[in-house]
Amino acid sequence: MKRSTDPRTQSGGRDIRTIVFAALSLLWVIPIFTALINSFKTNDGIVRGIFSLPVGDDFAAGENYVSALTFGNYPFLKSFGYSVLISTVSTALIIICCSMAAWYIVRVNSVFSKVFYYLCLFSLAVPFQMLMFTLSSTAYRLGLDTPFTIPIVYLGYGAGMSIFMFTGFVRGLPYEIEEAAVIDGCGPVRTFFGVVFPMMSPIAISVGILQLMWIWNDYLLPYLVLDITKYRTIPIHVQYLKGSYGSVDLGASLAVIIMSLLPIIIVYAFCQKYIVKGIAAGAVKG
Amino acid sequence: MVKNSGIRRAIRLWAPLFILPAFVCFVISFVIPFGQGIYLSFCEFNIPKDAAWSGMDNYTAAFADPSFGRAMLNTFLFAVVSVIVINVPAFFIAYFLSGKFKGVNLFRTAFFVPNLIGGVVLGYIWSMIFDGILRYFGTYLIASPVYGFWGLVILVAWQQIGYMMIIYIAGFQSVPTDMLEAADIDGATRSQTLFRVILPNMISSISVCVFLSLTNGFKLFDQNLSLTGGAPIKTLENGMQVNTTELLALNIYNTYGINRHWHGTAQAKAVIFFLIVGGVSLLQQYLTNRERKIKPAKHTDAKEGKQK
Amino acid sequence: MLKRKLLFAAAAAAVLLSWTGCAGESGNGYVYYLNFKPEADEAWQEIAEEYTKLTGVEVDVVTAASGSYADTLSSQMNKNHAPTLFVCGGVQALDNWHDYCLDLRDSPLTEHLEEDAPCLYGEDGSLCAVGYCYEAYGLIVNKSLLEKSGHSLEEIHDFASLKAAAEDIHSRSAELGFDAFTSAGLDSSSSWRFSGHLAALPLFYEFRENAATTQPAEISGSFLDLYKNVWDMYINNSSVAGGELSAATGGMAEEEFGSGRAVFFQNGSWEYTALTAEDKFAMSPDELTMIPIYCGAEGEDNAGLCCGTENYWAVNSRAEQRNIDATMDFLEWVVTSESGKKMMADSFGVTPFKDHLPSENVFLNDAERMKSEGKYNIDWSFSFTPNTESWRAGVVSALMEYSEGSGSWENVSTAFVDGWKYQYKLEHRILD
Repeated sequence: MKRSTDPRTQSGGRDIRTIVFAALSLLWVIPIFTALINSFKTNDGIVRGIFSLPVGDDFAAGENYVSALTFGNYPFLKSFGYSVLISTVSTALIIICCSMAAWYIVRVNSVFSKVFYYLCLFSLAVPFQMLMFTLSSTAYRLGLDTPFTIPIVYLGYGAGMSIFMFTGFVRGLPYEIEEAAVIDGCGPVRTFFGVVFPMMSPIAISVGILQLMWIWNDYLLPYLVLDITKYRTIPIHVQYLKGSYGSVDLGASLAVIIMSLLPIIIVYAFCQKYIVKGIAAGAVKG
Repeated sequence: MVKNSGIRRAIRLWAPLFILPAFVCFVISFVIPFGQGIYLSFCEFNIPKDAAWSGMDNYTAAFADPSFGRAMLNTFLFAVVSVIVINVPAFFIAYFLSGKFKGVNLFRTAFFVPNLIGGVVLGYIWSMIFDGILRYFGTYLIASPVYGFWGLVILVAWQQIGYMMIIYIAGFQSVPTDMLEAADIDGATRSQTLFRVILPNMISSISVCVFLSLTNGFKLFDQNLSLTGGAPIKTLENGMQVNTTELLALNIYNTYGINRHWHGTAQAKAVIFFLIVGGVSLLQQYLTNRERKIKPAKHTDAKEGKQK
Repeated sequence: MLKRKLLFAAAAAAVLLSWTGCAGESGNGYVYYLNFKPEADEAWQEIAEEYTKLTGVEVDVVTAASGSYADTLSSQMNKNHAPTLFVCGGVQALDNWHDYCLDLRDSPLTEHLEEDAPCLYGEDGSLCAVGYCYEAYGLIVNKSLLEKSGHSLEEIHDFASLKAAAEDIHSRSAELGFDAFTSAGLDSSSSWRFSGHLAALPLFYEFRENAATTQPAEISGSFLDLYKNVWDMYINNSSVAGGELSAATGGMAEEEFGSGRAVFFQNGSWEYTALTAEDKFAMSPDELTMIPIYCGAEGEDNAGLCCGTENYWAVNSRAEQRNIDATMDFLEWVVTSESGKKMMADSFGVTPFKDHLPSENVFLNDAERMKSEGKYNIDWSFSFTPNTESWRAGVVSALMEYSEGSGSWENVSTAFVDGWKYQYKLEHRILD
């Protein structure tokens, strides 16, 4: 019997594919492992060669992690806390406000919603460099330079992409259910949160994860906007690990990098299914 | 079609709740800085507070700056090369990983994981790795613009192949099963099926991925900054100096960093940069619409990207 | 309708709330110092805290990330809550921030300044910024290793004698167990020692010949031979050479010297703490000294160390008057009170303020001694470098290629001379 030519159902060569891709996947994650391994080496060990294992004199145990926690006058855990605060609050704000706005835009076909929608589309084509010199002064004047208020900046800057993704999804939702809810006497608020928003949850999760990843890793925006006299996020913290005249504590920097990766990888592990669906749904609508 | 006027009226009444929070914030962090940015590109300023009108001066200076031309050339080359280096492997990896075999989910995860890491950190890790490897050949990453350029291509490919792979896998999975069965029955070979049946059905996925990687290539900043920072710098025959691996976004950032006399010029470069990126996006829109007219059944409704 | 109004009110309140987010400071002024030196950050935090306890005046000290002082200052100055005290790195920074520098001519701080204190003046003669510390650099010598190799400090008095001693030590390095020079690494953590500090030598002699006192638009590079002399000596008489130089860091050179594997180490007085600290290299101050970087210039028997500063205090003239007053009070306290003087001496060594405390820093004392012996100071001529970062990067690229063998000295000289001309144009925005 002839083999199927559909890549999705091909059954032959099963083992070979597993072996080949196992090797390829390993190769793919080598850079991350190199960083992980070197975070357990002494600075001398790292300088001697990055492809050696942390053994003998090169083994630093947890020293780099300890110095990463205590380095400088700004505690790592504080940066960590602000990063968590900023990314979660901003993401929550983006999901709630942008899903509501998207629903409004799709359901209310006014000039205003059209203008807003096209502005959102337009903003996708605008690189951050266009805004970066002016955003910080605007944000400062409005007092948006603290971790408690910077989510407003993120909501505004992330609105373009998020509203765009949400509207694409809302267009595919049937009117009938909402109509029925209204006939049953639900107000728009209850209709939205009781009926519409639950239907939007797949795209909400995708939007949420994309924004979370972006905000967690973002360096330039918080660096330009936040009042760095008081508040730092992890990417800013990493930048501050450099000492005077560019001398660098390599080990401690790598330890900070590894610690900053952990939360986002954990989040990904739990939400993997949604993010994959979200990217696919957003990209190709069959 | 159901007339949804009831809902519409009801929502409209609640407009402030639904649309105002997002809209106000959007105005604060996009509309105002954007407008101010356009204005400042015609000004001389140290900080936005003390801007003074200077006409087209900044634009003249931007075009006279050899580093800007070099960065533009670098950016075009980089964007085109990275599109190929990202999409060809992503397509074939997706082709295999859309199948069902042992470990397939784990492999997909492995390819996707680099997307979770921030660009600055990626550059940091990869510069360490490139230097570690090149050391065996007695050289180093910023010894030559060639290393820096291809280093950046490798880094970006490593990061984005997993992302594009996800989109391609979704594309493969939406190829109609009956067409493939028909191909099997007709006795098509594997490559015939791939090129004659699957590929035509993948056009929309491909165009999404190509444009996504193209705009990402144009806008690249973090990775460029932390991998080479534009180095090495070369002195040209005419005595001018340029950063040989600098892309447009980094060039703008560095121009701003020269000193206050260049702040306005940096902003003018940013406006030019915006026009280029906007032009690419418009081209995509145009092509997508045309494709939609040709193939109304399968169309691309949305593109998606990470903001960087 | 009522609900709708309430919502409007809520939305408006949210926006207003964010407007009023910036709280006002207390009535007796406020000091915000944007510090330049990361290694002095801790000392500044402590002294600020002490001052606040003493007077109740709030003092914030913020340190910019290494290499990002200019960016940080730009973004902080744009805010209402701008630094009241900042660091001007030299004439170039002064060009940027001139309008923000309070004229300090009649301030109480000037009364405490020594007469020869380094200062930055505006074109109108205003005193824009005052130097708050001296630093000196040269060749740090491990005296005991030098003796062990059979050489002495007395025999080294010019380039030829320095080179002879170094070549002898290098040729016997296997037998001795140490080399002449530490690695001349060109990694960014080390390259500033050569593209900045070493480059000051040819610049200094050229400027001295031309009697240049301001930044020249072009340089001739007539003394670049001296630069080549020293560079060749460094790379030919140390354990690291060729392509390896690119990855050699400042930390490696420090380690080589600190652990007794090299006799000479080109660096500055700021290294003193690291070399002598118990928990770092724990070297004895007795075995350390600093000598001039002899390069083959005429009459260099009489050369001293390279003494100067990149650290000038400037007070933000656009700050509120009470904050300016608070800042002046704070500065005066720092240079006159016991704990302030102690902090200054510990962190910065010799400072240009009257009745400063003596410093333990051997290198700074060496510099003082040579001055009093009548030796000429080699000025920090690199402070005239236009568009410093880019100019240096060009020189480093060319140096690297030269050392590796893929480029000629011609390229170094092009990067030095032509690079200067071009970067000068960039800095002053002279468009052709």
